[in-house]
Parts: sequence; structure tokens; C-alpha cells
Amino acid sequence: MMRPKSTMELVPGDDETYYLNMGPQHPSTHGVLRLRLHLEGERILGAEPVIGYGHRAHEKMAENRDYLQFLPNTSRIDYLSGMIYNLGYCQAIEKAMQIEVPERAEYIRVICAELNRLTSHLLWLGTYLLDLGGFTPFLYAFDDREKLLDILDSVTGSRLTYCYGRFGGVSMDVDDTFLRAAADYCTYFRKRLDEYHALVTHNIIFRHRTKGVGVMGPELALDYGVSGPCLRAAGVARDLRKDEPYGIYDRFAFDIVTAEGGDCFARHMVRMGEMEQSLNIIEQAVGGIPDGPVLAPKVPKRIRPPAGEHYFAVESARGHFGMYLRSDGTDVPVRLKLRTPSFVHVATMPVVLPGTMLADTVAILGSIDIVIPEIDR
Amino acid sequence: MFRETLIGAWSLLVGMKVTLSHILRAPVTSQYPRERIEMSKAYRNVIRLIEIEEIGSHDCIDCQACVRVCPSDCINVEGERPDGMRKKRATLFEVEFALCSECGLCLDVCPTNTLGYSREYDQAGFRRDDFLYDLLDEWRDKEEGVRTRLREEEAQKAATKAAAASKVTAARKAKDEAAAKEEGPAAAGDAGNSAAEGEA
Amino acid sequence: MTAPHATTQFFHTFDNPWIAIAAATGALLGFITINALWLIWLERKVSARMQRRYGPTEVGPFGLLQTLADVVKLVGKELITPDHVHRPLYLIAPILAFAPLAALLSLLPIDADWVFHDFDITLVLLLAFSGLNVIAIFAAGWGSNNKYALLGAVRAVAQNISYEIPLLLAVIPIVLMTRSLSLHEIASAQSYPFILVQPLAFIIYFISATAETNRAPFDIPEAESELIAGFHTEYSGMRFGVFFLAEFTNMVIVCAVATLLFLGGWKGPLLPGFVWFFIKVYGLIAVMMVFRWTFPRLRFDQLMTFAWAILVPLALVNLLVTIVVLKL
Repeated sequence: MMRPKSTMELVPGDDETYYLNMGPQHPSTHGVLRLRLHLEGERILGAEPVIGYGHRAHEKMAENRDYLQFLPNTSRIDYLSGMIYNLGYCQAIEKAMQIEVPERAEYIRVICAELNRLTSHLLWLGTYLLDLGGFTPFLYAFDDREKLLDILDSVTGSRLTYCYGRFGGVSMDVDDTFLRAAADYCTYFRKRLDEYHALVTHNIIFRHRTKGVGVMGPELALDYGVSGPCLRAAGVARDLRKDEPYGIYDRFAFDIVTAEGGDCFARHMVRMGEMEQSLNIIEQAVGGIPDGPVLAPKVPKRIRPPAGEHYFAVESARGHFGMYLRSDGTDVPVRLKLRTPSFVHVATMPVVLPGTMLADTVAILGSIDIVIPEIDR
Repeated sequence: MFRETLIGAWSLLVGMKVTLSHILRAPVTSQYPRERIEMSKAYRNVIRLIEIEEIGSHDCIDCQACVRVCPSDCINVEGERPDGMRKKRATLFEVEFALCSECGLCLDVCPTNTLGYSREYDQAGFRRDDFLYDLLDEWRDKEEGVRTRLREEEAQKAATKAAAASKVTAARKAKDEAAAKEEGPAAAGDAGNSAAEGEA
Repeated sequence: MTAPHATTQFFHTFDNPWIAIAAATGALLGFITINALWLIWLERKVSARMQRRYGPTEVGPFGLLQTLADVVKLVGKELITPDHVHRPLYLIAPILAFAPLAALLSLLPIDADWVFHDFDITLVLLLAFSGLNVIAIFAAGWGSNNKYALLGAVRAVAQNISYEIPLLLAVIPIVLMTRSLSLHEIASAQSYPFILVQPLAFIIYFISATAETNRAPFDIPEAESELIAGFHTEYSGMRFGVFFLAEFTNMVIVCAVATLLFLGGWKGPLLPGFVWFFIKVYGLIAVMMVFRWTFPRLRFDQLMTFAWAILVPLALVNLLVTIVVLKL
């Protein structure tokens, strides 16, 4: 296992190097991450992420309220893929209590989760280009994201922090307008993807800024437990939707998008490819959705998972989101440990950053797509 | 190197073509204070008490289910049992919207389905009090009338029930008599129906 | 060649030279301000339209007065001088950035007979003065005593020094062709725009000019996603505004030089000369704006590589070819 060298001690008599605090208030740390950088000119000798500025004690909150009351928290851990977290939590509890979910609800969950993955990747695309200094793709991505949020809003009632899942289904049924809007969006977005490729992917400056920058090889990625698009960009084909299918993901045909190199460009390509795969899944789900109830008829009034340990994981937009639950059979969990991808990803920074330029820091930090509240849950 | 420069230059031109082509298209932003957007039908905002047709008003019976389920502790409900009524009525329904996370759990647990969402969307305020919503406000003037009517209804119900009960006894009596006299099954059926209505 | 001295001599319309200087300075300052206001408005509108937004719409017709309102706000803001700065450098930097502008503008021939003053070496003087900008940026960055500002300043110096070379190398072929260093004479000598015979020189000049004015995609000295605001991180109020004014006026100057050297200056059919001149200048500025709102930013070392490994050799080849063709 590779370990970061400790480069963060001040060397007496060293006048050539200096320390720079990037963050917690900095335009490109996406919130309140603080990076302590050891620099020689523009070259980075050492980096140390300092986390905790956005800590909201989600795990502790889970221990102080019953299972249902934790539901609104879930979409606030990673606010960009809130739906996936929200539904994932419901699925975890359902698995622990063995609640059967109606078919229609499962399909709705897949559609909503994939739409949410699209919004998350779109936001990433926009802000990533903003980090690299390109303003306009940001606005285009947000425009497309708004259209998606409108679709999600029409069924969940919220645009960001959805509290849509319920134990045993979802809180509201979808109508044909929603399904048609989702299908139409897929057609529309395929065209837009070409435009993004023309504007961003093929751009020579973008390629130079991202190719060979921030290489996170398969070895390092696996050592650290990197997951999601960052892992797949290193060439490791691992996707929980495929490898450990949850819900009804095993019914849909889609590919695990991988890329070679593990650099920022590979991560970009993986996310762009994943958007396309999400469109495929949505189209299949919209085509195959059955009629029926959306909430299981027999959900126990008191949510009391059997005493013991339960684990469930879903593939969020950022990677492997795991929930480890210890229950003593009461209304309140003893412990709910949330395994979030961003926390792992930011932990690789002391290894990945040294040797790069200051401008690369921004490119790398953007490409791993961190969400601060998810680091500090 | 030279080739790459040319390809690079071409890629830049292609990018400019994309951005320039957007100049001619209509803007997608909406001019907010002048243009108002219609909220989706599922839109979640501060909760409100919605009218239940049979009551002619809200139907909050102070069951405290929403208060208990609320993860943010932002609901405060008080109620009383009006004189001569069996059901309770809310006398205070306050929501501190600044704390609310719009999760919708209160709607799910409401036994009378009298909670719904408000359609407002530009609530901004300068003080915390601005977000303290009194949900009973819009129903207060009607409350006396509603109570009177409910009381009457309850009294009527009680009366029909009593009548039905007496009918049932009467029917039973009649049945006994019929068993004795071997007549009037139709009358007994009638009595059974009205008894069922009374129980419902 | 007609002697431009014989054309309108602005100074001579006044008897008292002091009044003449005051009037000229006033006119130039007025132009700088109005030009910057209009350019900022244009930039906001262009970027907004490219991004499917409306841009400023509220203040004045089409939001034309929006920038004026912003300037009023900037003027009204408190000028904060942080404790830790090197005061003399910190205070003089905005002045240094602003001072050469009037001198530079006064060298530009706007029309065949509309020159503030012209002499034999305006081109050299102009390119030399525009190098002063980098001193202002470095003073600002060093004086601010802030790591981000210093990084921005260091980047700016390296960038400006690197890009001055291809810029000059792109100008020399034109000088050789016209055998003059006077902007007025070069522009007059163009019976056809020189861009037709020197397209490569124009492209190199334009790229270098974009880099010289620190415009995106070469805006690394003030790369906001890396360095907050770069060299002007510690400046507030109108001190920041002055840097902004300087940036936009520099854009006009480099584009005006491009117009005079490559696009035939004021020459054009039907419309009066100065109208053609401004159409060309603002057209080039619009292209710069499209650059800014389309491309991501280069990295510092890539910027250097681009200048030294691509632009300088290309410019040298172009120069060599020009010399050979001229000698034939």
C-alpha cells in the first residue's frame, strides 16, 4: 500500500518553498474543503486535505431519531445525487426488514435515480469547466440540468433534496406526462451530448489541461478504495449496478463505461459515457414500466429492523455508497455508518497532487467530483 | 507537433461554432419578478390545512401524529374537545418553516388527510417570526360555524345510531315474533340495513 | 509618403499649449471611460447571449447604463488598504496601470487626417509603452504581500515577457514591407489589407495580443478558479476599477494596432474612415470576447510552451519567408 510521504513539516532554513492554504474559502474547492499545499513556485511538493468544515453529524443524527425521521437527512449527505442516497437508504431498510417493493415502484426508482445521476454528472461537467476557466459550458450544463430538475420536480416536488422514497416504495405515483418527459429528454440530450463533445471533449486546451494530469492508476485506486467513475477511469470495470445488482438493475442492458489512464481526461470520458448509459437505462425503464401500486401494502407501522448487522450499498453518482446498520431491534439505530465515496477520493490527494502544478490541483480536485457534506457527514 | 497544432486550431474553431450558434437562439432564463413560473403539481412548500369537503373546513383532530413524526420538530399543535363533541378540534397549528425540511412525512401520517402543501414560493423574510406560519389563520372565522354543524352532525349521528340500535332491538323483537308467527322477513331485512348504516 | 504632420494637428487648434494638453487629456480620459463602459456592457451582452441568458436589461435601454451604475457603486466603495501590504508599491500600482493608457491612445491614427500627434516611430513607442503594463501588475502583486497575488504577478511577468517576442516578430514583416515605423504611414501604405499577404503574422499577433492583455484563455495571472483574483486580489473599490479600465483600454489598443497593421486601418468603402476604424477594432474585440467565453484556460507551463515552441518558430519562419520574398 502506498502511503503519502509526510512533506508537511516546515524545514528550518528553507526559503525556497512555502505553504499555501487553498480554502476553506476558495472558488474551486467546491465548498469548504481546505487544502494545505506545500509549494515550490508553482510546483506542489505536498498536499494535505483538511476536512470537517462542513460537518453536520448525519451519522450521529441517525442515532437520535427513528428510521423514518432520518429519511430527509439522506438526500442532504450528497446533495447532488440526493435521490440515489434517499432511495438507497430506503432499500437498505427494506432489505433489513424484508419488505417487498411493488414492481412499479422499482421502475420509478430506477428512472428517478438515473435522472438524478444525470443531473449530478451535468453539474460536474459544468463546474469542472468552470474550474478550468471555461464559462459557457457551465451555463449549458446548468440549462440541461434545470430541464431535468423540472422533470424530477413534477413528481417529487423538490429540485435538490428529494425526500421521495418511502420504506416499501415511493411517496407519489408518476403519470404519463412524467414518463413522456423523461423519454423526450433522452432524445434531446443525446444531441446535446454531441455538442458537449464538440465544445469540451475535442477542445485542444481541455485535452492538454486534463490528459496525463492527476493519474490515479488501478493499483492506487484499489488500494485506497476509490470507486465510481474515478475507479472506472483507471480501467477497473466495477459498477455496483452490474456487479451486485440491487433493485431491478439486473433487468436493464447497459455497459460499464471504463477508460484507460486514470487521468482527468479518462474521468471526463467515463462520466460522459455514463450519461449516455443512464439515458439507455431510462429509456428501457420508461418502456417497461408496469401498472400497479407504488407503495407496498403491508409496511409495518413501526420500523424496527431485526437486531444485528445489516449492510447495503448502491452506486451513487460518485461511487460506492454503503450503509452499515447496527440495530438492536428498537426504533432507533445503534449505529448507522455511511461509507461515502468522496471521503475516500479526497484521501488520495496527498498521493496524487505532489509533482503537479498549482493549476492542476484545481483540475484534479474538480475531476474527482467531491461533495463536501459527503466527506464530512 | 505541427499536425497537432492544426488539429488543435480546428477544434477551437469547432468550439467557437458551438458557442456562436447559441447567440442566435432565444435565452432560456426567465425574468423572475416579471415572469412567474408555475410550480409543478407536486411542489412542496410550507404545509397548510386543506379543506375536507364533508367538514367544510380543515379536519385537524389534534392527533399529534405529525408532531411526533416531524424530524425537525417544527410543528406545534394544540387542540381541545369542544363542548358536546366527541372529536377534538385543533386550536393551534403552528409551523416554524425555517426549520422545515419539506420531507412530507407529516402528510403521510395524517389520518384525516387534511395536510397539503402551499403553492407560494417567494417567501423571504427578515425575522424568524416571518417563517412562523399559523395554519389555522384562514379557517378561524369559519370555526364556530363548523363546530356548530359538527356538533349537530354528531348529535344526529348519535340519534340515528340510537334509533338504529332501538330499531335493531325492535327488529330482533320482530324476528322473535316472526319466528313465532312465521311472517315479515322483509321487515327484518330493512331493519338490518339501517343498522349497518348506523354503524358506518 | 504624405507627412502626417501636415494633417490635422489637434494641438494647433488651441493657442495656449496648456489648454491644448488639458483638452487632449480630457478627451482621452473621456474616451477611456466611455469605451470601457461600453465594452464591459458589450462583453456582458455577448457572453449572456452565448450562454442563452439576457445579460443586463434593467438599467437604461438594453441595460446600457448598467456599467455606469456599477462604476458609481465602485466609486462609492471604501478603499481598503490591508495592513500587511507594501504601501508605496500597493498604492502606485493602479496608477502605473492607468498612466500609460492616455499616452498610448494618443498615438493611434483614427482616420487619414485625425491624429493626435504622429512621428516616425509610433509603432515602437506604442509597443514599448504597452510593456509598462507588466510593471504595474508586478507592483500590484508584489506590493499586495499576498501569496495568491504574488503568484499572479509572477505568472504575468513570465507571460508578458514570453509573448512580447512573438508579438514583435509578427510585426516586423509589416515594418519590412512598408519600410516605416509610423502607424499612420503603415496604414496609409495598405492599398489592400496586409492580412491577405500576412495571415500567419496576423494570427500570431492576435494570439500574442490576447496573451499580452491577459485575456482568456491566457488569463492565468488572474485565474479566478486558481488564484482567486490574482494580482488584484487585495484591491477594492475604484483601485480595482482602474485595473479593469486598463484591461479594457489595452484591448482597444492592441486591436487598434492590429487594425492599423493588418486590416488597413480606416480604409473602407462608403462609410467615413473613423467609422471603419472602430468597426474593425470592435470586431476584433468581439472575437476576443468569443475566445474568452468559449475556451478553458491554459496552464502556466503550457502557455510558455505555446509561446516558445510554436509561436516564436512560426513567427521566425514567417519573417524569413517575408525577407526572402521581399528580396526577390
